[in-house]
Amino acid sequence: MLAPAIVKQVEVRLDKLLEMCSAVDAVVVATLDGHLCAMKQREKSYSLERLATMGSTLMSLGDTITAELAMGTCDNIISENRNGVVAFMHINDDLVLVSLTTSKNSLGMLLGYSRSCAQDVAKMV
Amino acid sequence: MSEIKIVFTGSMGAGKTTAIAAISEIPVISTDVRATDADVLQRKETTTVAMDYGELTLEDGQKLRLYGTPGQQRFEYMWKILARGALGLVILIDNSGSDPIGELVRYIDNFREFINETSAVIGISHMDTNPEPDLQSYYSYLQERGIELPVLPVDARSSDSVVMLIQALLAMLEFG
Repeated sequence: MLAPAIVKQVEVRLDKLLEMCSAVDAVVVATLDGHLCAMKQREKSYSLERLATMGSTLMSLGDTITAELAMGTCDNIISENRNGVVAFMHINDDLVLVSLTTSKNSLGMLLGYSRSCAQDVAKMV
Repeated sequence: MSEIKIVFTGSMGAGKTTAIAAISEIPVISTDVRATDADVLQRKETTTVAMDYGELTLEDGQKLRLYGTPGQQRFEYMWKILARGALGLVILIDNSGSDPIGELVRYIDNFREFINETSAVIGISHMDTNPEPDLQSYYSYLQERGIELPVLPVDARSSDSVVMLIQALLAMLEFG
């Protein structure tokens, strides 16, 4: 788990993500074993604790699949849905970033801004 | 050749991943990651966050597809996903835990509907180092709740020991 001072820094960066990209509705940083470290959302619409745990499950499955296929590390998992998009990506070997948008046409922005955020968070931890 | 899906579930550290690895004839597909929970770290370094998968072919040609669930409660959504289409359940309980019978209650309650529709067998691990509660205590609890399931000691590292559990489960499925 992250130290409280680091969590604050991460939360500031997550806030910045929401400011910079209006399409992003919520973002979570979780450990790969499913603990919520930091989260931000525009409205209290989602149970982000559960999303953190599910994000770790999905990211781990992605890692297992790409290892099985000898495709290197799993960078992103994208879930495109009727009412939005969820993106899962590694921050480093121990942390996962999960971001979501309810705008179906914002996949590129979601991925681009989230990847940049994940890279910044990786430098903080 | 028929195929049977069996799910290994049970308490964290009971040996689900180890048991599947002990009997699988293919390299086990594992989703273990480094654990961060203090209580987990006291017992092991990694924890399963999605599933384990292995396969075993029996002498009569039946293929068993073996799925392992995560042990920690926060991954409970995976228990239901993995139980879909399964014919039997192996519940592993770590006898060295702080409340092994309480753990059994949790898994029986979570899988009660599934157990009623199919069957289950209970394996108690680490009994060699932690003999209490004994098997009779588990049977007494099950009897109080009107549940009839076999309870066997198991060494999750031993192929023979795990296969014995599987055979008990298959016998339950065949003869009730």
